[in-house]
Amino acid sequence: MRPLARAWLALVLAFLYVPVAVMVAMGLNASPLYALPLHFSLHWFAALAGDDAILLATRNSLLVALVTCVVATAIGTLAAVALARPDLRGRGVLQALLLPPIGIPWLISGTAMLVFFSWTGIGRGLHSMMLGHVALATPYVVLVVGPGLKALPPNLEDAAKSLGATPADAFRSVTLPLLLPSVVAAALFAFAVSLDQFVISYFLATPGVTTLPVLIYGAIRSGFTPEINAVSTALLAASVVLLLGFARLAGVGGFLGRR
Amino acid sequence: MGGSISRRGVNATMGAALVAAALGARSRPAAAAETITVLNWQGYGTDEAWALKLFAEHTGITVRHDYFNSEPEMVTKLRSNPGAYDVALINSARTRTIAADGLIEAIDLSQVPNAKDLTPALRDHANLTEGGKHYGISWVWGMNSLAVRRGVVKGADSYAVLSDPAYKNRAALFDDAVTEVGIGALMTGQSINAPTDLGAIKQRLTAMKPNIKLIWSSESEWNKAFVAGAFDVAIYWSGAAARAQKRYNLPVDFIVPKEGAIGWLDGLSVPSAAKNKAAALKFINFMIDPSFYLQWAKDAGAAASANAKAMSELAPDNPIRTIHKAEYISALQFMSTLPDERRKAFVDLWSEMKAFYAG
Amino acid sequence: MPAERHAAGPRPRRTGTAATAALLAPTYLWLAVAVFLPLAGMLYFSLLTGVPAPHHPAAFTAENYLAFVRKPYLLHVAWRSLALGLWTTGLCALIGWPAALALSRAVRGRARDAIFLLTILPFWTSGLVRVLSWTMVLADHGLLDRALGAVIPGWRVSDLLYTFPAIVIGLVHAYLPYMILTCYVSLAAIDPALIEAARGLGARAPVIFARILLPISLPGLLSGAVLIFVPVIGSFMEPRILGGRVGVTMGTVIEDQFTQAFDWPLGAALSFTMLAAVLLLFGVLYGASRLRPAA
Repeated sequence: MRPLARAWLALVLAFLYVPVAVMVAMGLNASPLYALPLHFSLHWFAALAGDDAILLATRNSLLVALVTCVVATAIGTLAAVALARPDLRGRGVLQALLLPPIGIPWLISGTAMLVFFSWTGIGRGLHSMMLGHVALATPYVVLVVGPGLKALPPNLEDAAKSLGATPADAFRSVTLPLLLPSVVAAALFAFAVSLDQFVISYFLATPGVTTLPVLIYGAIRSGFTPEINAVSTALLAASVVLLLGFARLAGVGGFLGRR
Repeated sequence: MGGSISRRGVNATMGAALVAAALGARSRPAAAAETITVLNWQGYGTDEAWALKLFAEHTGITVRHDYFNSEPEMVTKLRSNPGAYDVALINSARTRTIAADGLIEAIDLSQVPNAKDLTPALRDHANLTEGGKHYGISWVWGMNSLAVRRGVVKGADSYAVLSDPAYKNRAALFDDAVTEVGIGALMTGQSINAPTDLGAIKQRLTAMKPNIKLIWSSESEWNKAFVAGAFDVAIYWSGAAARAQKRYNLPVDFIVPKEGAIGWLDGLSVPSAAKNKAAALKFINFMIDPSFYLQWAKDAGAAASANAKAMSELAPDNPIRTIHKAEYISALQFMSTLPDERRKAFVDLWSEMKAFYAG
Repeated sequence: MPAERHAAGPRPRRTGTAATAALLAPTYLWLAVAVFLPLAGMLYFSLLTGVPAPHHPAAFTAENYLAFVRKPYLLHVAWRSLALGLWTTGLCALIGWPAALALSRAVRGRARDAIFLLTILPFWTSGLVRVLSWTMVLADHGLLDRALGAVIPGWRVSDLLYTFPAIVIGLVHAYLPYMILTCYVSLAAIDPALIEAARGLGARAPVIFARILLPISLPGLLSGAVLIFVPVIGSFMEPRILGGRVGVTMGTVIEDQFTQAFDWPLGAALSFTMLAAVLLLFGVLYGASRLRPAA
């Protein structure tokens, strides 16, 4: 069974990386129109180095994504813990309320946020993008952490409390470590949701303050070049380095191998 | 259902406040005397970096940009940000409507010296004028018409090629209601701006179904799909076709068939609430200057300039010049003002057609 | 189980309630400010004849909510969106659940961490760029054709791009990681000893699947399904770019109301109708799951 399982996993990963491989390859292809066959060129990477607009937008994207990731993961995990309590009333309604941010098309949410934020004086800019992104990412966090909580042995916290731990201690020292894989997954998703969000960011961007996906979206009409592939590739490479460092920090046995 | 809301009523309810605030009501900090803000499509001439540098060197005026991704968004931005913009790019089909709303003001041509070189038919086009006053300075014009793969499609001189069984599954349409309904209008001998028989248009569009492979919405999408060999006949923009020929060496032939083409004219206007009108006019004058246009056409490839002098300075074999023949200007039907109801009817028809193509 | 829980001692109920509220407050307050209040504004718009503005007053109307009656072709569009949602969710479950099982049972330690991260990493790039990359793969004479042609002599053009399956491929790719990871966090909690014990008692693979693996991973499977189905039926980028002429969905129709028609009210009404349908669907499923006798 095991070789078969591993083969399946490898196949799935290969599928996930097909477009990524194409993206990288086209960033290294001389043709501005993604024509085949491939003619190797570093032209687009070189162009990138001098393109302040793209670099600044990338920096903004990372900043918003990082804040979104931290805030959404924190508040979403708390909400997931509360939603998992057996004596909670109105669970169905509370869970249903998580759906509109995911289910309403971004164009509606984006327009709605813009109108509301302008009206209330919150305004546009990076701060309102963060406000919007956190709202969008939090339901993902709750829905990813939730199943992880349900899978925990039910009486652990009670056991810890009966041994004299305060509820907060019991959560911190017993539940949280066991929950870590789900929390990490949720955080990675929250980051991804923000980093890829272009519609809401588009509405909430001010002239001159933009993010990478907005830049790409705005450039569609005039036609964007493989420079976009190059910056995506660079960003991906940076992510790999970052994650490798993170995985190393997580220690021997890895962050998933707590059991 | 309920009764209509009076204007005062709207103001009293949150509606107007919301919309007034919509699409960025954040007011600009008191503008520096020598800064103007231009509202345009991204990557459409006015934001060419070299041009802005040159303009700043000559006049000391810094140009900033805000962009829109659809015409309705442009109108909303103008309406909800009074004072934020000094120059706006407006498709002349909407100029009169926007002027009627009081959002843009008449321009004194004597303040725009280069206007004397503009092709008179474009400069004084009915789309841009009201009561003899100019509400927009004609800047660039072009056509939406037929583009075919050279060597594969031969002798096409009619939009009928879009429903020719020889090109089953080999055609692409532009995802724009006004253009596609306009094509149907041309095919049935009607005015593109005021067709009376939408049923006949629907019939023509319906007949194209077996051929339609792709409904495109951006230049890069068109070019990439063309390079990948997805289609052989399509509706395309004249300026983009010139770019495809000159810059990317694609085997594209742009054709104005016997039914005619859909013309469009883009103008530059000054919002009534602009804070720096003198600088705005200087910038517009620079934008219609042949020196700017020639460099722009060379660097990026553009649609046709409304400035006759600029066009005459292009090389005779330049695709921009061979595609945009001067005689078309008088023969073309240009996209003009559409009453809301008619525009809605066009949009409804096109949505229905798209759903039909998909089914 | 409830008896056991009760035996753990009397629960200080009031502080418990206060604590629960405190845990919920940040999320729901945030959602209220950034989503629910803005959407309430949109709900108001959806009842107007047009976007109100000076010179263009709007009236109240319920007409926008009758769109499906007035324009019957929208029913076909809605059906296509539903089909996309079902296909995508189903395929993600069929591909993702076994992958999650493999990840939790057949790989350990650092390799598991690495694969876990590798699953999400592709989604740290622009979705638009990923979808455009798929067009290169699926086009006739595209990369897929070239690859298959190199392996299978005489391979004919597959011509997948601009078809319904092309949209499904793009969407499955975009949403598969959600299913893998939500299933994984459920499956990882299964004590290997439990499966060994079942096996020792003579249980065969199908029994282990039906009695142990599936029930335990059900919350993950359901969470994944929600995270996939709900956004997919409103998706517009994948259908538009990969679907060609067949790429007309509720998502693209709603998008058109904003970019082409300037009909926010109709776009908003269509979105709320869609959301209501989704909530109704999940409400029915939720009710059905509660009616089922407890195992």
